[in-house]
Amino acid sequence: MMKNHTLNRRHFLGASSLLLGSTALPSFVWAQGEPIKIGTLTPLTGSGGPYGPVMANTVKAVVDEVNAAGGVLGRKIEVISEDDQTNPEAGVRAARKLIDVDAVSAIVGTWASSVTTAVAPLCWESKTFLATVSGADSITELPHQGYLVRTQPNTTLQGRKFGEFAAAEGAKRVFFVSPQTPYAESQFQNITKAVEAAGGETSSLIYDDKKPSYRSEVDEVMRFEPDAIIFGGYTPDTTVMLKELYRAGYQGKKIAFAYAVNEKLVDSVPAEVVEGCYTIAPSSNESSTAYQRLVKLIGVDSPDPYTVQVYDQINLIIMAMAAAGDSSGTAIKDAIRKVSQAADGTKVDNAVDGLKLIAEGKPVNYEGASGPCDFTDKGDISDSSFRYEQVRDGKLTLIKIA
Amino acid sequence: MLAYLIFALTIGGIYALLALSLNLIWGGIGLVNLGLVGFFALGAYASALLTGAGLPVLFGWGGAIVVGAIAGLVVTLATTRLRDDYLAIVTLGLAEVIRLVALNERWLTNGSDGISGIQAPMKSALGNQGFNLFYLALVSVIVLVVWLALRRLDRSPYGRAMKAIREDQELAGFAGKNVLGFKVQAFAVSAALAGLAGALYAHFQSYISPDHFQPLITIYIFLAVAAGGVGRPAGGVLGAYVVVFFLELTRFLPDLVPWLAPAQFAACREILVGLSLILVLRFRPQGLLPEQIVPAPKS
Repeated sequence: MMKNHTLNRRHFLGASSLLLGSTALPSFVWAQGEPIKIGTLTPLTGSGGPYGPVMANTVKAVVDEVNAAGGVLGRKIEVISEDDQTNPEAGVRAARKLIDVDAVSAIVGTWASSVTTAVAPLCWESKTFLATVSGADSITELPHQGYLVRTQPNTTLQGRKFGEFAAAEGAKRVFFVSPQTPYAESQFQNITKAVEAAGGETSSLIYDDKKPSYRSEVDEVMRFEPDAIIFGGYTPDTTVMLKELYRAGYQGKKIAFAYAVNEKLVDSVPAEVVEGCYTIAPSSNESSTAYQRLVKLIGVDSPDPYTVQVYDQINLIIMAMAAAGDSSGTAIKDAIRKVSQAADGTKVDNAVDGLKLIAEGKPVNYEGASGPCDFTDKGDISDSSFRYEQVRDGKLTLIKIA
Repeated sequence: MLAYLIFALTIGGIYALLALSLNLIWGGIGLVNLGLVGFFALGAYASALLTGAGLPVLFGWGGAIVVGAIAGLVVTLATTRLRDDYLAIVTLGLAEVIRLVALNERWLTNGSDGISGIQAPMKSALGNQGFNLFYLALVSVIVLVVWLALRRLDRSPYGRAMKAIREDQELAGFAGKNVLGFKVQAFAVSAALAGLAGALYAHFQSYISPDHFQPLITIYIFLAVAAGGVGRPAGGVLGAYVVVFFLELTRFLPDLVPWLAPAQFAACREILVGLSLILVLRFRPQGLLPEQIVPAPKS
């Protein structure tokens, strides 16, 4: 025992000097700063399960890149990934953990509209920033005080694109046929707005998508003498509608959603029925440098639109923190439009380059992989790329992405 | 952290009410109600719509109880000949029907957008933190009152008659018990409780949508009652808090297993839920707090 004690004197000295030294340690660590926390709340299980994991990995990959380049505001960023289970009840529980326990500055990637609507109030009440890929019009109507932006084009923007395209193709009398969907009404209003702005006229018809024949509906459409028809339905009913219109001798333009007039539809009907039909779909900006960086970063050849959007969201949030000089949710809210759409900003396609410019005091304007990423005051994107295709010789052929 | 604990305990209380509802009908009289979440949804929508039309919150909660009870009556009267698996299938279908009606009747329920901005009682007066504390207290008191009432029921002659029906309904009928009457009453009370839980949930979260009411909640509550002890109200309550504790605690495990990707970890969480149910049923089928059969007093 005695021997132990005497031996321990040296150890004691060593240990106590270590202890003294360690008191200096926290302040050293402090200079580096505690990590800034950002939460991902994507559907890792449930019906959104195919998308959420890639989204979470993408956020992690961007953050790793930024951390490797020195972090933001002299601090590292830490990503905490939670699962919303594609269910608002579970999503709220996950969000509370992110907000109350982890105290994240921002949550990115909520996917289902119901989850976003359930989580949004927690975010604005706790001054946490929320970036989402949900599309329902109602989301940006919530009283979110600016704490919410989304990168998914809403129905209003999609409707406008259809109308503008019809007008650009020279159509003066545009008819909208659609089954009853949550989007039909808003879609038609915005088509009308765009067509009337170009001096045209519109009319619409809502039909029952379970009917086997649309003889009387087609009669009504033809009475309007349209030179363009926009289809708001899904594949089965649009198939029937196209056949009936062909039989009725309709010669004008046809415009449909890409998810309705798809390869399957084109293959299943006689070529002349669908020949010349245009399709429109929101698109990632595949020619952008941001998109090409993303493909390289995550090693996925054609990332889905949600992954592309979440890549833009995390880049914007990191740059917004740098531009504000503060990592809080309120700072992100106040600064996000300074980095997304500064009129005199240098165009950047990733946060690492953006952070360098911001450090030099230069304004930046992020041009993302999903599109230009400019937000309205309500939090919607003001413009997005759309993919236009046309059926030519029985094949869907790309016309343009714009 | 404190705010999170308060939140988890409030959710635990709402789950506990659902567990008490399920325990009454499943543990008490032996009817399997796989449509629990449907009655939960009815209560939530009833209260959200009533208070949305300008009625005070207490009326909304009363309405939720009434709507739940009526739905319970309709279900039992429509399925008097069904037992066991067949009743389970019908109730499972009923919950889906309720969810689909909520999804499609846009004029009433606002469809997939759901109802947001549901009144949170006293929130403006109490502030965020105050409201959360107040609501935790309120939910806990309701759970306590309902638990005491159901425990009283469990030990009364009425409770013994219910359990006789559970064990052998023909025999109970021979003994002069009105089997259908007991079933209807028990189902109505159980459904009313689930409705109340739904109303409490709606006013706590301020937002409900058809997506909230997927069968997942029913599964959690079955797990809670099975783990806590079928046939004993205290078991259901304990089980509900254990389930919420378990669901929330597993969120903190990724730090221990950093080599798992988030998606893998999320899948593991779901596996753990299922695994724990199997383990409970294998090693402690009577639950944490087994049922007590108190002998009837000699008269």
